[in-house]
Amino acid sequence: MQHELIDVLIVEDENELAQLHAELISKHPRLRLVGIASSLADAHIQLESKHPQLMLLDNYLPDGKGITLISNPLLARANCSVIFITAASDMDTCSQAIRNGAFDYILKPVSWKRLSQSLERFVQFAEQQRVWKIVDQQNVDSLYQLQAKNYRLDNGSKGIEENTLSLVQALFNEKSAHCFSVDEVVSETGLSKTTTRRYLEHCVEAGFLSVEMLYGKIGHPRRMYKRNAV
Amino acid sequence: MKVSFQIKLFVSLMAFFSVLFALLGGYYYAEVGKQLYQEMSGRAKIQAEEIAIIPTLRNEVEQKDIKAIHNFMQKIAERSDASFIVIGDNRGQHLFHSVFSDRVGTTLVGGDNAEVLQGKSITTIRKGGLGISLRSKAPIINDAGKVVGIVSVGYLTSYLDTITVNKVVNILIAAVLLLIALFIFSWFFTRSIKKQIFSLEPREIGLLVRQQKAMMESIYEGVIAIDDNLRIEVINQAARKLLGLSQPARELRGQLISQVIAPVPFFTLHTMLEKDTHDEICHFNELTVIASRVRIMLEDSLQGWVITFRDRNEIDSLSAQLSQVKRYVDNLRIMRHEQLNRMTTLSGLLHMGRYDEAIGYIQAQSEHAQELLDFISSRFSSPTLCGLLLGKSARAREKGVELRFDPACRMDKPFIPLPEAELISIIGNLLDNAIEATQRAPLPHEPVEVLIKLNELELIIEVADQGVGIKPEIRERIFERGITTKTRGDHGIGLYLIESYVTQTGGSIEVADNTPRGVIFSLFIPATGTARHPAQELEDTDYAT
Repeated sequence: MQHELIDVLIVEDENELAQLHAELISKHPRLRLVGIASSLADAHIQLESKHPQLMLLDNYLPDGKGITLISNPLLARANCSVIFITAASDMDTCSQAIRNGAFDYILKPVSWKRLSQSLERFVQFAEQQRVWKIVDQQNVDSLYQLQAKNYRLDNGSKGIEENTLSLVQALFNEKSAHCFSVDEVVSETGLSKTTTRRYLEHCVEAGFLSVEMLYGKIGHPRRMYKRNAV
Repeated sequence: MKVSFQIKLFVSLMAFFSVLFALLGGYYYAEVGKQLYQEMSGRAKIQAEEIAIIPTLRNEVEQKDIKAIHNFMQKIAERSDASFIVIGDNRGQHLFHSVFSDRVGTTLVGGDNAEVLQGKSITTIRKGGLGISLRSKAPIINDAGKVVGIVSVGYLTSYLDTITVNKVVNILIAAVLLLIALFIFSWFFTRSIKKQIFSLEPREIGLLVRQQKAMMESIYEGVIAIDDNLRIEVINQAARKLLGLSQPARELRGQLISQVIAPVPFFTLHTMLEKDTHDEICHFNELTVIASRVRIMLEDSLQGWVITFRDRNEIDSLSAQLSQVKRYVDNLRIMRHEQLNRMTTLSGLLHMGRYDEAIGYIQAQSEHAQELLDFISSRFSSPTLCGLLLGKSARAREKGVELRFDPACRMDKPFIPLPEAELISIIGNLLDNAIEATQRAPLPHEPVEVLIKLNELELIIEVADQGVGIKPEIRERIFERGITTKTRGDHGIGLYLIESYVTQTGGSIEVADNTPRGVIFSLFIPATGTARHPAQELEDTDYAT
């Protein structure tokens, strides 16, 4: 099956960096470079004339900030996605880019590996959009997943390990009628308090444990954990 | 040279009185002279007519008995104040002269006898033997009705003038004394005026009034001046706008303050008399304001108060802007600092020809941040929360503290029971506290652990630091307003806010000691908010189970 090429526009005022990006794109079999813009105004013109599907957008440009381009209606009309590139210390702008639905954001100094991954993901994203004629929930989820940075959602990402989990669960299986506070679990298992909390809350979420509030004489109520009846 | 207001007022007062006195004096002088002449001519006439009807004299004149006339008249003349008394016969010859006895036998001087000889009394001013005189002549008529002689009683004008002058001199002396009294009075009067108007010139006062008016209207704060009866004297445009008063200022003037602003403790007479106040937070007609009140004293007696107030929301937004600016400055400083460090390291590596390490170093610079960015943006759906966490993380790093996000972090949909602004406030405050506590702990700084997790049941926020911890003496009171462990800046508010937000949503807070040191704050906020949406509670319980 013949793949169509994806048109890419680079918006970057630093010539050397723009050339490096261009090289990266031209090496990719599925991407085609349609232009390099070195200013906001230039970017506007090239967006209009060349209709790219993807734009690598630098934030600091001689005539303004790249972030202002992200919410531009021109992008929506052209159906153009943005990979936003900015300095690592500019976290607030990143948050703005997230809000405006940038496909991805890469921090400077740019890691080529990270940029390549991002481009690869976009190619997949564009490809799937084109291939799937019928949209069902699974397709949408998959697309959304690609846009949402491809994070693994297995147990590992929740920081739950089987060994530790069974250690905690064993404690409750032993004394199923007993209410445990975090401190008691800590002293029994030897885990750190924050880790203990994570495991306990995981168990609550999984329905293994339930929570009771213990109202003491002074201060705030304490949270007690108890094994759910099987 | 400019003459001061006091001198001007004094000089004009004096000039006015002097002219007034001169006019009055002139008028009086003329009037007195005229009156004296009238009075004296009457007197002369009566005397002359009285003398003319004395029977003895009539006989003696008829018989021209000069000796007898002389003896008789001498006695009368001695008792009279007239300058002269003259008796003449019906041919105009002197029969008697009270001053010059040698004139007897000579003709009367003046030539005004014709009318008298016909039987009429006359009064004339003529030059006679003694000089100019006012004199009255009366005919002496015998029993047969025939004019037999003339009586002439006269007053010299010089004599009359002396009387007038004496009178005028007396008046003049009185006038001068009065003037001196006025002089002194004017001096003290102008001085007291001067003192009352704070030694200001009238032009300056005018300018002040204008300035005050312009000032009152130009300032952004509401200003109200009230008198000691709590009635409004001045109210400026801003005050009317803030209080939402549509009436013009002149209609409000004279109204009681309680008619315009609903009574609050700020306006009770007792507190107002007690002391002035500065930047007090209170409510004027449901508007939260920051108000100041100052007493106006004039010569130790209370004249009223001036009240100024500002909308508190404006001040809040101002301070928010200010902290924003501070943050930008802070960010710039961080960036510059980091950049310098990087360049130094990089140039060192390049100098030594360690190119691979240089590349590795450059890659490493963004690696951590990129990982964090990817992690946060994938775990939290709220851009605002992402921004907050990224920002706090960057700032913490600059302060030498690492924020370590728990791998279980996840909040992929909006949390309805808690408004986003409050969520941000809670997390921001917890992180700030943790970062500062860690900073104050001895090196090396342990990371601050953060868990933000939203599941079906509740939102869990846990921030654990290994900082200096909470002092035992304030342990039980940390959520009270004004209780703080911080040493700088604004504080004593953060935990108070957190607690009120969390309890309002029916959540709970646990505070525990971390090991080996520091504090763990754990917040649990149920996904079915109770306090905020009491009506929904029942329906939602069903749904959740």
